[in-house]
Amino acid sequence: MYKFDRKFILGASAAAAAAFFAAGCAGDSAAPAGANSDDTLTYENGKRVIDGGRYYATVNDKRGPYYVNTDTESGGYTYGRTPTENELNAWNTTVTPWRLPPEGEGTVEEGEAVYEAKCVMCHGDFGSGGGGYPALAKGNAYDNVKTLKYQRLTPDHEGPIRVFGNYWPEASTLWWYIMEGMPHPDTRSLTDDEVYALVAYILNLNEMEIDGVEVDEDFVLNQETFSKIVMPNKDGFEPNIKGPNALDDVRAYYANPANFGAQKIASADARCMHDCQKDTVKVVPITIEQKDFLPPLSEVRDLPKVEGISAAEAEAKATYEQSCAVCHGAAGMGAPVVGDKKAWAAVVGKGMDTVYSNAIRGTDAGMPPKGGTDLSDDKLKAVVDYMISQSK
Amino acid sequence: MRNEHSQDAAENVSAERRNFFKKTAALSATAIAGTGMLAGTNAMAEDDPVIMNTPDWGHKIGYGVTKNRYGMPSPYEHNITRRNAQLLSSGNWQASIAMCPIQDLSGIMTPNGLFFSRCHGGIPTINPSEWRLMIHGLVEKPLVLTLEQLKRYPNVSRVHFVECPANGGPEWRGPQFNSIQFAKGMMSNAEWTGVYLKDILKDLGLKPNARWMLAEGIDSSHMGRTVPVDKVLDDAMIVWGQNGEALRPEQGYPVRLLLPGWEGNLCVKWLGRLEFAEEPFYAKEETAKYTALKPTGKAIQHFYANEVNSIITNPCPEKPWTDLKKGDLVEIEGLAWSGMGTIDGVDISFDGGDNWVEANLKGLVLPKSWTRFSFLYKYEGKPLILASRARDDAGYIQPTIDQEVSVMGVESVYHRNGIASWEVTSDGKVNNVQVRSEFKDVDGKMTIVGEA
Repeated sequence: MYKFDRKFILGASAAAAAAFFAAGCAGDSAAPAGANSDDTLTYENGKRVIDGGRYYATVNDKRGPYYVNTDTESGGYTYGRTPTENELNAWNTTVTPWRLPPEGEGTVEEGEAVYEAKCVMCHGDFGSGGGGYPALAKGNAYDNVKTLKYQRLTPDHEGPIRVFGNYWPEASTLWWYIMEGMPHPDTRSLTDDEVYALVAYILNLNEMEIDGVEVDEDFVLNQETFSKIVMPNKDGFEPNIKGPNALDDVRAYYANPANFGAQKIASADARCMHDCQKDTVKVVPITIEQKDFLPPLSEVRDLPKVEGISAAEAEAKATYEQSCAVCHGAAGMGAPVVGDKKAWAAVVGKGMDTVYSNAIRGTDAGMPPKGGTDLSDDKLKAVVDYMISQSK
Repeated sequence: MRNEHSQDAAENVSAERRNFFKKTAALSATAIAGTGMLAGTNAMAEDDPVIMNTPDWGHKIGYGVTKNRYGMPSPYEHNITRRNAQLLSSGNWQASIAMCPIQDLSGIMTPNGLFFSRCHGGIPTINPSEWRLMIHGLVEKPLVLTLEQLKRYPNVSRVHFVECPANGGPEWRGPQFNSIQFAKGMMSNAEWTGVYLKDILKDLGLKPNARWMLAEGIDSSHMGRTVPVDKVLDDAMIVWGQNGEALRPEQGYPVRLLLPGWEGNLCVKWLGRLEFAEEPFYAKEETAKYTALKPTGKAIQHFYANEVNSIITNPCPEKPWTDLKKGDLVEIEGLAWSGMGTIDGVDISFDGGDNWVEANLKGLVLPKSWTRFSFLYKYEGKPLILASRARDDAGYIQPTIDQEVSVMGVESVYHRNGIASWEVTSDGKVNNVQVRSEFKDVDGKMTIVGEA
């Protein structure tokens, strides 16, 4: 047993045992009938539930504890309409292993230029990451696959690298995600060629090859070369999800608790109630405490401190937090950071007319017109005033 | 009724007023800040001034029903909020998470304003009249619906939790947060109203080779996830209602996908498009993230259900037992849940999981929903290691940390449901601890150090 005083163990057990007879035993001994029998673990078609869990069939107009109006379950609804071909094309921009990206091309060199202009402020030099933003590369993708077995059991252990090159199973994911989700403040803004170029650049950072050819500076990524990318860790995932037997493979995987660290018992009676822990266990306290919480923890019931700001200022503050803080709230985004007195003194030094005008029209340095908002000029000016007031 | 001592005064207002001014003068020395009216001339030191005196709210008229047309909690509850930590953010607060204060909730319903919130491209403000749902791919009849049309389908309401599979994920190697809000607050529970997806599909003619469905959001992250048709045809819902009102923006207003019991991330918010296909889509959030790396170097992909789990909410680090005295009867209370079924029972341990006794379940016990458990305990002022262990009607029971780590290692990030424990010190303070063995890693196999 671990580091407890024996008396304490006995004392606690005795108290617990007494309470058990008083309160615990009678109440819950009756488990639902058939809880663990197999018919509750399969669908009506006899196939096992895909996630390894329980199935609730509709019986006598009830599904589990819920009453249902089974009349509503037979279809016959005529709402909505058929989408047009153009509508389908407009929304279906997904790139998958079985659906190539649109025609286009880009080189590693072009990708580096786009990266320096639109990505480096978050993802760091050469995709090194930082400030919470993910790294895009950490050296040679093929070499780094072996790190996936690393376990950080102690702080001096090296952990697994999980970046695009050595971890992701498919390159289509990168193309799709850059197109739909990047850059953060203005997604769906890159051209197809820019996306090809960025993917080429990231392949290069990961020291990858396509069809035996190194993705170097002049490499041209297009539909054809893209289709030949083979990711180093493509077989690093389980269960199988490809091909006609995929769903049965998933079913079989989750039918075995040992695959995913779960524990099953034949019945409630089979669970361990006494002397359950191994002799090797210890009580492990917090060693490095994380407590950087916003707002700080408090269970106090009192009146909130009133912030001495007007309704207009409060609105400007809310707008700032909603729309401007993505860039102006974090160092490294290129925008003057709110609170940085020196940076804002330089901004204000240009004269307020220029400051307002830049805010409204945008700048070449990356500030979108009105910061990407649709605020009126006056409201936008109030936001600018608020940001300056917070930086004095 | 005003807490006056004199029968005469209660019957005669003017007499009372005269009395009051006299008494106020006499009592000024014992006046208590924050109480408006002082009444008890006979107040003694042992009398509680909040009983003896009438506070402002006891005699001044309150505010009208015209204020707060959408009601707000008492201002005294301002500390009961969602909370953030930079550690749990991807660079900015637009790709981040807000943790639910589960220590301050009662029952099984989470107020909509406290529901945990996770987003990948900020929270959009979507005009519901410009919202559309497109269902296409391997269906005979593709479909576009407006919100009004969607809401015409007969609706169902179901109580389910939504949990981020990274709930507890920062603590695979050991405890880090002395807080239940941060250790387990990536989850909430609500009654959701919407339509079963299978009922819509009845009329669309799902083709036999359709094995997978992409669900995609219309927010700036356009987050997508692949769902097997088994779930679509079982209990997948398209929901617009949350605890009786419209979904909150943070929960996907106007419409989200709800896959009861499955990873919160799969329950795509701000839903816009469902596409059926033969092969899976390999979205970013099912490859780069939400995959669980095992010590073998292989990662689990498509890890759907949040497994059976539980946590003691009272006591917890935020709700200690420092006010108790020896002999006090106190309720140990907690939450149990399983994405694979209904909670069957919960055990409690006082010695870190060596010995267990069965707790009582209380209140509603529903599938794939939070379930409350309760145990009445006589406080003795002794140090304890409190733990809870839930089991469900699919036959699963929470693993010990050792059992879970031996299979999943410590790099999995997701789906951690090992038994959690709190240390209760002799003075009633509560700390987050873990009861676990030391492991070593031998060529992809986790082995307990010192085990015979």
